[in-house]
Amino acid sequence: MATAGMAMTITTTNTMTTDPLARLRLLQLVSPTLPIGAFAYSQGLEWAVEAGWVKDEAATRDWLAGLIADGLAHLDLPILARMLAACELGDELALRRWAAYLLAARETAELRGEESVRARALTTLLRDLDVAKAVAWRDTLHLAQAAGFACAADAWAIAPRDALLGYAWSWLENQIAAAIKLVPLGQTAGQRVLLTLAAELVRAVDVAMLLGDDEIGASAPALAIASCRHETQYTRLFRS
Amino acid sequence: MPGAALHLPHPGWHARLELGFETRDVGATARTVLAHRRRVGPLSVQRTFHPEGEVCHVYLLHPPGGVVGGDRLDIDVQVDSGHALLTTPGATKFYRSAGEYAEQRQHLRVADGACLEWLPQETILFADALLHAQTRIDLSGNARLAAWEIQCFGRPTNAETFANGRADFRFEIWRDGTPMLLERLRVQPDTLNRGALLAGQPVTGVFVLSHADAETELAAREAMPTSGFGVTRVDDLLILRYLGDSTEQAQRGFRVLWQALRPHTLNRPACVPRIWAT
Repeated sequence: MATAGMAMTITTTNTMTTDPLARLRLLQLVSPTLPIGAFAYSQGLEWAVEAGWVKDEAATRDWLAGLIADGLAHLDLPILARMLAACELGDELALRRWAAYLLAARETAELRGEESVRARALTTLLRDLDVAKAVAWRDTLHLAQAAGFACAADAWAIAPRDALLGYAWSWLENQIAAAIKLVPLGQTAGQRVLLTLAAELVRAVDVAMLLGDDEIGASAPALAIASCRHETQYTRLFRS
Repeated sequence: MPGAALHLPHPGWHARLELGFETRDVGATARTVLAHRRRVGPLSVQRTFHPEGEVCHVYLLHPPGGVVGGDRLDIDVQVDSGHALLTTPGATKFYRSAGEYAEQRQHLRVADGACLEWLPQETILFADALLHAQTRIDLSGNARLAAWEIQCFGRPTNAETFANGRADFRFEIWRDGTPMLLERLRVQPDTLNRGALLAGQPVTGVFVLSHADAETELAAREAMPTSGFGVTRVDDLLILRYLGDSTEQAQRGFRVLWQALRPHTLNRPACVPRIWAT
């Protein structure tokens, strides 16, 4: 077990250092300019701000730190790791099973709607960028955006650990962008939260890569209530 | 694991209860009856009730003294046909543990065309309790479901927090092998106060009804108490949630919603189990 883990780390490091193009591909995949509309979603944060649950920099950091340590580390990231393995093995059935699992773990209609709209946008983009699986496995990729992310990372030779870090980073950056608009936070305060929480992302990826199948799963009760309430929030800027 | 248990002060008992329901003709009418019952250890049911004719009401009795680390509760329910309503006369209590986890596994299966209402009273975790709990509900075909679970971490009325406890609650609904809702609430000292997780609130609950349409959702929004609750609908599943500081508020809210929604999703007026009134 220890030996296998070490071998994986070494491979990861090599891939990172020997393939600068793969690193640039990752930056492209996680860029906020990737045209899949990520900026339109706050994932319950908009209602949490409206309700006074998140009203300053410290509360923003706390809100996000909880989601990183629980949701990212125990749900999104370990599932993404399995999706990457499924892509590498050409196992569409496994990819579909994990995508369905991830979707069923999203707590509300709005969060599932976001997952599905973003997944479709990403699949179309990847098709136009000639990622073969975006055509062959289209229906599976439509279930959850992590599935398309995994196919792109696989096609562009991005190492699994880097793919997980990138996925987590892009989620966090998007949440910070939403917080800057909503809370509101100053630009510098936003950067400060990013700087602090980046270390939590590294920890979350470390946790995620060691989880067994039976340890996967996470729910966030306050986020779930916030997202429920956001569905009928009177004035809103964000779609979730 | 079983070997290690021998060295601990409390070896733990393993309680298991299997219940099977089906429809039988009783005189001129059909009734759901408890056709199969098997029990090991201190988990039991007493007689069944039929206060509304066809539906079989059953009270699950948990170990009277509560549950401690090392104990294990297994409940297996199968509704082959007809309509069963299960509830409990009181809260299920998990006491502080010296180091071993208590285990609770509940597997509920509902056949095509059958109906299950799973409406237990709350689970209370005392300070320092350690618990792995799992409720898995498997629906087949057109099976109908109304199910809730409420957890209370610590005892807020005694100002007792769950500061050193740990719990892992899984609540899953599958239909024909496809996951419909996968919840997993992991509670440990650093998640209790996190804003997006329990936000310092000791009580949380989820109530799920199948066969919900837009009209059901609207009825839920009208009946729902304003503070602490949320509602959403994914496909035909209506999901209601509570997060707050009172098990009584959670129970009362879910019962009001159940009474308002039962006619929509189960085509029956609410018939309140008598034990709830005591």
